[in-house]
Amino acid sequence: MEIKGSVALVTGGGNGIGEAVAKHLAKQGARVAVVDMAQKNIDRVVKDIQEAGGEAIGIQANVTSEADTARFIKGTLEAFGQLNIAVSCAGIIRDGTMLSLDKETGKVSKKLGYDKWQAVIDTNLSGTFLTLRDAAEAMVNGGWQGLLVPISSVNKAGQVGQINYSSAKVADALMPKIIIGEFLMRGIRNIRCVAIAPGYTATPMLTGMNQDALKAILADVHLGRLVAPEEIASMIGYCVENEALNATTIEITGGLCYPKGIAK
Amino acid sequence: MPTFTYNDLQFSLEARGDRWDLSCARPDGSRGLAGAGLFPGLSEGDALARANALARTICPVGIRTVGPDVNHPNTIGDLKIVGPDVTHPNFIYWDKESVSCPREL
Repeated sequence: MEIKGSVALVTGGGNGIGEAVAKHLAKQGARVAVVDMAQKNIDRVVKDIQEAGGEAIGIQANVTSEADTARFIKGTLEAFGQLNIAVSCAGIIRDGTMLSLDKETGKVSKKLGYDKWQAVIDTNLSGTFLTLRDAAEAMVNGGWQGLLVPISSVNKAGQVGQINYSSAKVADALMPKIIIGEFLMRGIRNIRCVAIAPGYTATPMLTGMNQDALKAILADVHLGRLVAPEEIASMIGYCVENEALNATTIEITGGLCYPKGIAK
Repeated sequence: MPTFTYNDLQFSLEARGDRWDLSCARPDGSRGLAGAGLFPGLSEGDALARANALARTICPVGIRTVGPDVNHPNTIGDLKIVGPDVTHPNFIYWDKESVSCPREL
């Protein structure tokens, strides 16, 4: 599938990986719907795309809402008449260990709040499901070539302190196989699904963190630096163009290893 | 420059080559681009009609929830019920913000 002339929808398109994906696809000639919660970020990204000569619309929406999802899919079709690429970048973190112990007594002093569990599952898993489900519905009914891109994470392998995030991301990584298996059974041949599992990426979330902690993370990355959001975007662009990529999850980590050199 | 109002949002269309940019002035005074490079080749009238339809699709309609009015509760027997009126015909949410009608006045 060619990027030029296609229509892409990017949730979480207001910053980080989503912003890079929206700008990359627009630069390659796609018409892009930028979906985000933060209106200021939407305005900035749409303005940047405009100044680069691209085509975009901005839609403020919450991916955890079915009504919002229906609205941004309909808005994309209203503006551009079709939908070909759906990238589900919207995500949050609410880190914490499941249990915290009192150092003196050894008893449980704190539990991970259910609100922190549910918020991450809602956004990172249910939000991805709603976006991809409704995007696929539009692609099937419209008969357009399509690509669905859930964003997983290298922490799908299981990261201490991220039981909510890792649980959602491992589920996101499974989606391509389940979706394409279903499409094969249903005779839906015009839509592919490829998940991307980034490693530690230079998004505002990470670059703003404690620099010592960041240095410790980078010690385990063979590349010796954070992955750039533009490198993730470039990979997604490649996925659009290479039609043999399907029903799989691609890791792009810069060579993230466990301590002592075992590749993660 | 053609303009139109939808709820309390002021939209304006501006030609850029053979395409149209749609900007929006929001109730909080901010201004942003709702869309760039839209409706290639369309005349001003057609672009305005498409922009109007687009605005109605992408901008959620909300209600202003004022209250609860604790002095005038609805009652069912001894039960006193206070809360906002949620019977507005454009009702979508009553517990979330919308762009055009923020929950906090």
